[in-house]
Amino acid sequence: MSGPAARASILESLKPPPVLSGPIRSGELDDRLLTPVGRRPPLAWFVAFAVTSTAALLGFALIVYTIATGIGVWGNNIPVAWAFDIINFVFWVGIGHAGTLISAILLLFRARWRNSISRFAEAMTIFAVICATLFPLIHVGRPWLAFWLAPYPNQRGMWPNFRSPLLWDVFAVNTYFLISLLFWYIGLIPDLASLRDRTAPGVRRVVYSVLSLGWRGASSHWHHYERAYLIIAGLATGLVLSVHSVVSFDFAVSLVPGWHMTIFPPYFVAGAVFAGFAMVVMAMVVVRSTMHLEHLITAYHLDMMNRVILTCSCLMGYAYLLEGFTAWYSMNPSIHHTFRQYIGGTYGLAGWITIACNVAIPQLLWLRWFRRNIAGMVFVSLAVTVGMWFERFVIIVSSLHQDFLSSSWHVYRPTLVDYGILVGSFGLFFTLVLLFARVLPVIATTEMKMVLPGAQPRSGEGER
Amino acid sequence: MRGNSRQVTMLAGALGLAGVAAAFFFSARERFWINWVLWFLFLLTTGLGSLFLVALEHVVGARWSVPLRRVPETLASLVLPMGAAALVALLSLGTLYPWTSAEGLRDPLVAGKAAWLNEPFFALRVAACVLLWAASYRVLAGGSRRQDRTGDPRFNRRARRFAPLFMVILGLTITVTAFDWISSLEPAWYSDIFGVYVFAGAFLAGLAATTLFALHLRGAGRLDGVGPDHLHNLGGFLFAFTVFWSYIGFAQYMLMWYANIPEEVFWYEARLEGAWGGILLALAVFHFLVPFLVLIPRAVKSDPRVLLRVSLLMLAMHWLDLYWMLFPSIGGAPVFGWPELSFALLFLSGGILWVRRIMDGGATMPVGDPFLREGLEFRL
Amino acid sequence: MKRTQEAFSVLGIFDTPDALIRAIGEVKGKTGHRLEAYTPYPVHGLDRALGYRKSPIGGMVFVMGFIGAVSALVLELWTSGWDYPLVTAGKPVLSWEAFVPILFEITVLFAALAAGLGMLLLLNRLPALRHPMLRTRSMALLTRDRFGLAVESAGEPLDTEALAALLGKAGALEIEVVEPSPARGPASPTALATGLAMILLACLAAAGTTYWGIKLFPRVIPMVHMLDQPRLDPQSGSPFFADGSGMRPPVEGTVSQGAPPYLPRSRQEAEGLVNPLPGTAAVFRRGRAAYDTHCAVCHGLLGNGEGSLTAAYGARPTRLTAGAARELSDGAIYHVIVTGKNAMPPYASDLTEDERWAAVHYVRVLERALDALDTDFQEGAR
Repeated sequence: MSGPAARASILESLKPPPVLSGPIRSGELDDRLLTPVGRRPPLAWFVAFAVTSTAALLGFALIVYTIATGIGVWGNNIPVAWAFDIINFVFWVGIGHAGTLISAILLLFRARWRNSISRFAEAMTIFAVICATLFPLIHVGRPWLAFWLAPYPNQRGMWPNFRSPLLWDVFAVNTYFLISLLFWYIGLIPDLASLRDRTAPGVRRVVYSVLSLGWRGASSHWHHYERAYLIIAGLATGLVLSVHSVVSFDFAVSLVPGWHMTIFPPYFVAGAVFAGFAMVVMAMVVVRSTMHLEHLITAYHLDMMNRVILTCSCLMGYAYLLEGFTAWYSMNPSIHHTFRQYIGGTYGLAGWITIACNVAIPQLLWLRWFRRNIAGMVFVSLAVTVGMWFERFVIIVSSLHQDFLSSSWHVYRPTLVDYGILVGSFGLFFTLVLLFARVLPVIATTEMKMVLPGAQPRSGEGER
Repeated sequence: MRGNSRQVTMLAGALGLAGVAAAFFFSARERFWINWVLWFLFLLTTGLGSLFLVALEHVVGARWSVPLRRVPETLASLVLPMGAAALVALLSLGTLYPWTSAEGLRDPLVAGKAAWLNEPFFALRVAACVLLWAASYRVLAGGSRRQDRTGDPRFNRRARRFAPLFMVILGLTITVTAFDWISSLEPAWYSDIFGVYVFAGAFLAGLAATTLFALHLRGAGRLDGVGPDHLHNLGGFLFAFTVFWSYIGFAQYMLMWYANIPEEVFWYEARLEGAWGGILLALAVFHFLVPFLVLIPRAVKSDPRVLLRVSLLMLAMHWLDLYWMLFPSIGGAPVFGWPELSFALLFLSGGILWVRRIMDGGATMPVGDPFLREGLEFRL
Repeated sequence: MKRTQEAFSVLGIFDTPDALIRAIGEVKGKTGHRLEAYTPYPVHGLDRALGYRKSPIGGMVFVMGFIGAVSALVLELWTSGWDYPLVTAGKPVLSWEAFVPILFEITVLFAALAAGLGMLLLLNRLPALRHPMLRTRSMALLTRDRFGLAVESAGEPLDTEALAALLGKAGALEIEVVEPSPARGPASPTALATGLAMILLACLAAAGTTYWGIKLFPRVIPMVHMLDQPRLDPQSGSPFFADGSGMRPPVEGTVSQGAPPYLPRSRQEAEGLVNPLPGTAAVFRRGRAAYDTHCAVCHGLLGNGEGSLTAAYGARPTRLTAGAARELSDGAIYHVIVTGKNAMPPYASDLTEDERWAAVHYVRVLERALDALDTDFQEGAR
């Protein structure tokens, strides 16, 4: 089919759609996005909050029980000394990385479609990292002495072991949390100023005033602000790569067969982005429908996020292939045994779940229908979330339960407390998300205003 | 001017050819073949990196890069002569690769891999890679050339659909190439990040070569419309992927250092002793530290003079990286004598002549691409 | 109303970014006062229109990043290499490879904090909660969808009417004259007192928290679990034993390590003991060390009974190098060392077996040195 009409239609299909559908002006954007903040939310929010906070409280109760009684209430044993605690830690840290990728890396690439989802994604990063830091804290056995990890001069004359990847974790995750918080907060300042100016005088207005630091939108301020924001985005990009690499070092520097694979750093980073985007997609789907933001978080946004998920799925497939091949290629009988265990041993089912959910099911995203249909993408994202959790399970538990010394081999069985704390972490995460949706604008209003048609001088559409 | 430099290049190439022929007869066989492998890998990875850049631009639908796209497309044509060179390099297997000999197979670690490391399967893999690369080149670069004449936007759609497939192909083929040609020189060694490492170096080399070639063309007035904003993006990519390459290289080294497993560290030990350690230090400084620090300031990223020097440095360092990985396998201290110089003259001249011939055969910009105008109007 | 002395700025409101940029072009040359634009989001081209220099934030970030890198490296190298060198997994003590991750993280931390806090606090001088613009009625418009251009006073008086006319001609839809913030005046006594009280409170809070953290918190469950263990602490009593004492003496007949029981009950029985150590220079040196430490204080460094304690205690320790002492056998001397004699206490607990016999050798050395007999020079002399 050729001819000018066909060519024109192909050209149209190649152009990226506008980042929002329907005409909208700056002021209307404020009304749409800032009015719900602080207002009484719909009933559905309360129901959801009740569920999530119950789960979170359950989790906290079980954590208190663990600390009071001891780590023995978990299923951890020797040789499986790390289990749900570290699985959950790696899982949650991974989920945080999507937010930074969306808000920082896509900013550097000047991808305009990021503007409507960046605020929410960054918030998810912060909440995910909060959930993540919970686990190293409680798994140390004596959490009240966790401050020993910090390098401060003390009467014991000791310093923490800077050569240990566990200490690298402490620095990396804390740095990541601080910088994500700073980045998120700086992005919030102009929105808080808008909220301040829309609120009648009172306590709320004072709070917004203080939090927005008296921001007034002065051009001399924007000048430094934009530059600093871009620089922090660049630095946060470095953090995305490094934090999950440092987490992977926890495993890769060891000698445990199946752990000491040099591909772990980029493999873990790809896995983190993968799991994170799946969580963002699921959360976005809920947010856009409950808050009626479909014209701002359009099918195009969801399509792009699904493409990232698909890319990461291919990267994971590559990593699994390489791991399997190199395991064979190493001619190391312990590694051979471990890899056979991944798909055939006590936890063989977990291995197959991992491969099915991480490599097979997301391939559905090659089909446009799955990228644009809500049910389809939620199915894939759910599969990815489950698959990525199981992947960490396979890496940690399956490798540990049968390593070098066969007399040490032992089966790991999680206890109810393990499951309860995992459920509690999900509860905590979604409770924080719900609270965030209630007190702060879920879309970065100021950043959206920047990309509205007519927002920038001379050219009609802003820039790409 | 162009005619003059062409003659100089041809002269250099002829000298190189003579030197290479002499090296075949008069220098050690291993030394001859390791040079051949080094040079064909150097130009091949540069070509593959450039082709990956083209594919990446199609996948994300980038507009800013459209005016520049013909440059990496042309550099990607190197995969054709280098594919042929790879097939010639199959003659080196007996000399360089221990797993081809009975003596090498006495090591049980090597003998166990015989299902993968055997000459017929190896040759089959090489042939498959060459075919896949040639086919991908035809689709992406050949299609773009055809679009110059037809202006048909269907190419864009086809390229956008093929590009992700090519990325999968590249990922697998470059991994196989890395494992086969480089790491199997010492077949007991294994590292699963090695494919990623070679890919990172290849992509960086492709970016550097693209930048270099683009600056050259721009200087000769053949890339009008490519301005500081485009160069800034190229500089940004160079910066980012310098960091990425360094990260992968450091990750591999640090993990092997930390676990200190004999079957893994012997590869590094050979590459750290004596002058080889000095070369690694030079790589750390000139392949990471210097480009990283130089490219930090925003203004520098769009400065043509700095970009020229940095790109040249990156390409030289990519060569040094391959040299450092390959040469210790033939034993002894680092050498750079007349054989190495001859190979350099031959392959560099050949590569330059080949690329320029391809570029001179058509437009320097994808004039048939419907998004060319938008790309030229790109401003930061 | 014309106010020449008191206005902070004259503000013009525009409804499109193009109008704002055009207005800047028109107003810029015609007034010497400072111009500031107000926009709800960053508008491209404003920096150029207003002639801003490049932001110094990049340099600040680089410097702080460098400081972070150096600090991290110094911290790691000093703690792991000098102050508390710890050899883990056989790695060299100054293992730079292992220090890179934390080095990287701290560099990024310092750099990012410099960017964020430097931009907010230093360059933009925020928080600025009392700025005159925050009390204008236009502020709500400016954070919503309008664009403002203000001619601001840096302290000099403004001709508000003329400036209002200028802005109006440049296309402003509304004009507002911005009043300066009410002067703060010197701090009132109550304010000062409140401030001091808050500082005092903060100090008390810090002190209290520290005290609680160090003294009281360890006593709280579960901190106290480590201290309250069901075990026997030294010096504590125990109801388990009849005499209520937690510390038990060793069982009857216990022999301590390295101290086999000494059997001779009298000097006569000890006469038979033979010195097991050879008469080598090493043994003599050891014996000298033992003698100088334990014996010389009474018997003197030369064995002549004139030690440092002699005068103080009015004691008369034996002269070891003369007379009757010379006639003593090795076993007899050993017996005296172990069981003591008269005012000399037993030295069994002070000297090991080997040290005692070495000391015996040394006594012989002293005897020979200070009072040699002809027979000593013969072969096989004792």
